[in-house]
Amino acid sequence: MTNARVIDAAETESPTARPSVIPVVAATSLRVPGRGRNAAGAPVRFSFDGRSLTGRAGDTLAAALLANGIHLVGRSFKYHRPRGILSAGCEEPNALVGTDRGKGRYEPNTRATTAEIFEGFCSTSQNCWPSLRTDVGAINDRLAPLFSAGFYYKTFMWPKSFWNKVYEPIIRGAAGLGKPPTEPDPDTYAARYAHCDLLVVGAGAAGLAAALAGARSGAKVILVDEQAEAGGWLLSEPDVTIDGRPAWVWLSDVVRILSGMPNVTVLTRTTAIGYYHQNFLGLCQRLTDHLATVPEGAPRERLWKVRARQVVLAQGAIEKPLVFAGNDRPGVMLAGAARSFLNRYGVRVGERAVVVTSHDSAWAAALDLARTGTAVPLIVDLRPTVSPDLLAEARRSGIEVMCGGTVTDTRGRLRISAVRVNPVAASGTVGEGRWVACDVLLMSGGWTPSLHLFSHTGGKLIWDEDDQIFLPGQATEACRCAGAGTGRFGLAAALADGAAAGAAAARDAGFAAKAGGFAVEGEAAMTGIACRDLPTDRDAAFAKAFVDFQNDVQAKDIRLAVREGFRSVEHIKRYTTNGMATDQGKTSNINGLQIAANALDRSAPSVGLTTFRPPYTPTTFGAFAGYNRGSLFEVTRRTPIDAWAAANGAVWEPVSLWRRARYFPKAGEDLHAAVARECRGVRASVGLFDASTLGKIEVVGPDAATFMNRLYTNAWTKLEPGRCRYGLLLGEDGFIRDDGVIGRMAHDRFHVTTSTGGAARVLNTMEDYLQTEWPELDVFLTSTTEQWAVIAVQGPNARNVIASLVEGIDLAPEAFPHMAVAEGRICGVPMRLFRVSFTGELGFEINVPARYGRAVWEAVHAAGRPYDIVPYGTETMHVLRAEKGYIVVGQDTDGTLTPDDAGLGWAVGKAKADFVGKRSLSRLDMLKPDRKQLVGLLTQDPRIVLQEGGQIVAERDGPIPRRMIGHVTSAYWSEALGRSIALAVIEGGRSLQGQTIYVPMPDTVHAATVSGMVFLDPEGQRLAA
Amino acid sequence: MIQECKTLQGTAIPGIPGRLAVTLAPDCARLVLRLRPEGRAAAGTALGLTLPDRFGEVDESGERLAICLGPDEWFVLLPECEAAAADERMAATATSPFSLVDVSHREVGIAVCGPAATLALSSFCAFDLESMPAGSATRTILDRAPAVLVKHDAERYRIEVWQSFADHVWSLLAAVSREIALDI
Amino acid sequence: MLLITCPYCAAARPEIEFAYAGEAHIARPADPAALGDEAWRDYLYIRSNTRGLHVERWRHINGCGRFFNAARDTVTDKFAATYRAGDARPSALLSEGVQR
Repeated sequence: MTNARVIDAAETESPTARPSVIPVVAATSLRVPGRGRNAAGAPVRFSFDGRSLTGRAGDTLAAALLANGIHLVGRSFKYHRPRGILSAGCEEPNALVGTDRGKGRYEPNTRATTAEIFEGFCSTSQNCWPSLRTDVGAINDRLAPLFSAGFYYKTFMWPKSFWNKVYEPIIRGAAGLGKPPTEPDPDTYAARYAHCDLLVVGAGAAGLAAALAGARSGAKVILVDEQAEAGGWLLSEPDVTIDGRPAWVWLSDVVRILSGMPNVTVLTRTTAIGYYHQNFLGLCQRLTDHLATVPEGAPRERLWKVRARQVVLAQGAIEKPLVFAGNDRPGVMLAGAARSFLNRYGVRVGERAVVVTSHDSAWAAALDLARTGTAVPLIVDLRPTVSPDLLAEARRSGIEVMCGGTVTDTRGRLRISAVRVNPVAASGTVGEGRWVACDVLLMSGGWTPSLHLFSHTGGKLIWDEDDQIFLPGQATEACRCAGAGTGRFGLAAALADGAAAGAAAARDAGFAAKAGGFAVEGEAAMTGIACRDLPTDRDAAFAKAFVDFQNDVQAKDIRLAVREGFRSVEHIKRYTTNGMATDQGKTSNINGLQIAANALDRSAPSVGLTTFRPPYTPTTFGAFAGYNRGSLFEVTRRTPIDAWAAANGAVWEPVSLWRRARYFPKAGEDLHAAVARECRGVRASVGLFDASTLGKIEVVGPDAATFMNRLYTNAWTKLEPGRCRYGLLLGEDGFIRDDGVIGRMAHDRFHVTTSTGGAARVLNTMEDYLQTEWPELDVFLTSTTEQWAVIAVQGPNARNVIASLVEGIDLAPEAFPHMAVAEGRICGVPMRLFRVSFTGELGFEINVPARYGRAVWEAVHAAGRPYDIVPYGTETMHVLRAEKGYIVVGQDTDGTLTPDDAGLGWAVGKAKADFVGKRSLSRLDMLKPDRKQLVGLLTQDPRIVLQEGGQIVAERDGPIPRRMIGHVTSAYWSEALGRSIALAVIEGGRSLQGQTIYVPMPDTVHAATVSGMVFLDPEGQRLAA
Repeated sequence: MIQECKTLQGTAIPGIPGRLAVTLAPDCARLVLRLRPEGRAAAGTALGLTLPDRFGEVDESGERLAICLGPDEWFVLLPECEAAAADERMAATATSPFSLVDVSHREVGIAVCGPAATLALSSFCAFDLESMPAGSATRTILDRAPAVLVKHDAERYRIEVWQSFADHVWSLLAAVSREIALDI
Repeated sequence: MLLITCPYCAAARPEIEFAYAGEAHIARPADPAALGDEAWRDYLYIRSNTRGLHVERWRHINGCGRFFNAARDTVTDKFAATYRAGDARPSALLSEGVQR
């Protein structure tokens, strides 16, 4: 075949050659009777932009729209150009619609090519106003010169102040696709871990063959495919035979075999979205989106987290569009897509199809369409020569053929009506064009192997110079690619490759596997060439030739980026936004690369491909969240007394994972009033506080005291059993890490308490030292945080309240003084009783086994009624402790305070040879007099409560920026003092006693006097009561 | 004597006949035993069990169960009435330093049984439950809750989880049960 | 999620059961008081910050509870080896030029 040019180049453009508008055809006539996987599917009513339409069960929205003669489905992102359906799969960049599944289930940007319709399915077009056909925003298309690549850096830079207030809001308003839903997502989502020997991604021919080989070896296999049924391209190619059976018979046999094997799981409607370390893959399974009636309580999607010993990626290939002027009109679509719609759904995509291609595969689409009633006036092949077989078939079907041709323009506002075709001479000269009428233009620029998941692993890609495609290279994971995804196009190749990969993977997983063989007949040819934007006889600088349909990126944008100095493909990508839309450039990356490489005058591999990242296709936030939303968003830890607090009107505060009662408002009380009342109640009589969240660790063993000595700053060896002590824990860096009261229950047993948030950390630190530094110590640790419910009874009447309930402990002040601990019983249940105070009042902390906590709490509450006992929450606890200058680690300290900085020098056992952090305390830096020290603050206006975190300066006025000398760590209204109090860290703070510092706020400056930290009862007389 | 107030008291997850039953395990005494390996045999005798010496191994007889969680750590479940006696026997017969701490109230036991038990747990358990041997146990993370998971056999599991995390695990099991009931 | 082989459990377990615990083979000085400020500073703060194989401590905190050591490539996140606390780092790792 030397010259297949059938059309005379002299047939030039003339006004009379303009086609008339193709009439809209009746819906039924576009369905081919008896054709399609869903040929027997029941009629299904659905709507698009309010128009009621009929499709067929098993249709995608795209198939159903096309069956109704609808190509125009949306407006483009930037120029608001009318757009149609480009593809038949997940790569779709154009046909993005809003879908409404009822009950607030609105989703924007759904691909019409993947959404399955059902009775009552509701969809709308996007990015157009007032309507899809008449869109005001289309003015952008006329203004296109203003919107070139990087336009927002150029066109709208003056005046600068306009950017934030004028330009950006307008641009943001005009650009975009779907609108986000306004309702909370009413659906639930699920998750599941799975483990298998072999995970096969893609259930096309290669994937099925791989799964079969693996499954027959006994390996545990998971086969996953994003489509509604397994089959891949086989679903679009029914006219081949495999092992003597028609393709679809073979397919159903294989699927039946696999589904019947106990070691095989076949997941359809499931997209492998990401490939992570050590063969860990995320699969998103769509469970209910395709159902007209969703079972009550059924989750919408499930995220599978699969650990596979071996992976076979059989993701197939994606057809490449051709880049030419007007290649984005509705009705211009991929040839393979047209073939899918015809063979899989029985839908002819139009009445008069012109085909332009650089690859054999589009010929099969032309021939299939011609056979089923669509007029195919012309095939334009960019190649000067094609196989004689194809030419003969075209001739038999009455199709004209132009080999060595190009397409240079299209017409048709809302749907293509004509295409301008030109011959190209061997020299490359583009001849005169002529217009050919059509209502669809099918294009194929060849096929791009899907390397997305392989790329996620960091696997290297290799450039194939012959086919001008990237192929998978050296894998970094236990993974193989198979089929079209490796550039081995064609059914026979896919089956053989898949079987070999599946068998090899199974063998690597330890199974005796062998690859089966397959006999294929009737396969279409699969050769072609790659090209960048098509040759034209017009000025390419004015051609609207789209590369990235979803982001409206044209060939000339990429050239502009190169002219402006961008060299790296990653920079060109970001400047032009090519491939940055939600489709991640599935149809645009390679075309963009070819154009960029040409403009840079470099080879494609030296320019390189941009990086693919998970997820492979857009994935709902719900799928990622899984069960972790609503009440399961995070663990909410509740104390044994939580239910009582809830029943008594507690307002909650989250403290690490716990929820704690912050205060207990009575009718009409706000936070301030409730806390003031609670504070008065404790100081005047007695209060009740749930301290169960305190961390507790039982430290047991003959070396327990030695261990405590080495770990905590304090001295423990001389602490008698039955006594407790405030313990301070540092890091080796000398900074405060945690604190708590520690009781010595016996010679070899300590009851250690930690801060609520520090419980796990302190236990970990203790284990660390025991295991790795002091393994010689006979000490054992057990967390008892949740074994004990802790009820703090605080106030002058505390003893009176509990006296009648306690057995076995003499509560007299001499017998059970401040900082005593004893075991006894309360309300008949075992108890550890601490006489401790975090309020400065006479106080007890009752520890009882957790399940008794609620009842003991209620018993104490009842016993306290004669004393007007007041339950109080964390806010009151904070006020009361601040009045006494007791610190809260993590609030008043921030990881940079030493014991001395915090005024806790007294808690450091200076005579001890060593303890964790001791050496650091003598570092020069730690001894500087201007270290930030914790002090008290009294505002000069006693009514002002400072802001916690407020920065402190030395002078009222001064140049900005001011030098900040510290900050407020705690600030409250003290009901006991009738004024505000605060704690703060200030440089050299203790030497500033009595001096005035300032806290600047946005509207004013507060003056405060530096004071000591203890505001109430500095002698501690109330404690000793 | 006052009433106990139990976590998850009064809640139930509807069973799926022939598929899945999620129930609260009966109360029992729970003890954390820590000692150096040389004291293992004597401690086992005191507690009426054979203390396994490999991590994850379980010794189970009737209501008694001992799990080796680490090289010096065992989690022991006994009939509720035996906790105090166990403590005394240990004190009397121990041959090396040890720590025996009563954590009966620290945890909630949840039994997950039925042919779909493994599937149910796989929704929030990251390791391969199918390859976990019957008669073994492990500490792990269930979704975000630290827990001890015991596999009695292919269709019977027990979760031991701290009280304040129990509601989270229970709610997950309820959600998963709905999926299994719907066969979705 | 990574799989990490706990050398005590001798099993590969999911990453969520583990907690990272800093660079390995940095022993607490037996007598901190005997150290000068600079030596103590080095103990506290100076770390190898390796690009490549890094020896580090992990704890199987939600498993057997043991601290152990691991050699992990900080570029690829792949674990080359895990071994028990107190064991010397595997000689194979030394030959690959692991620092410290």
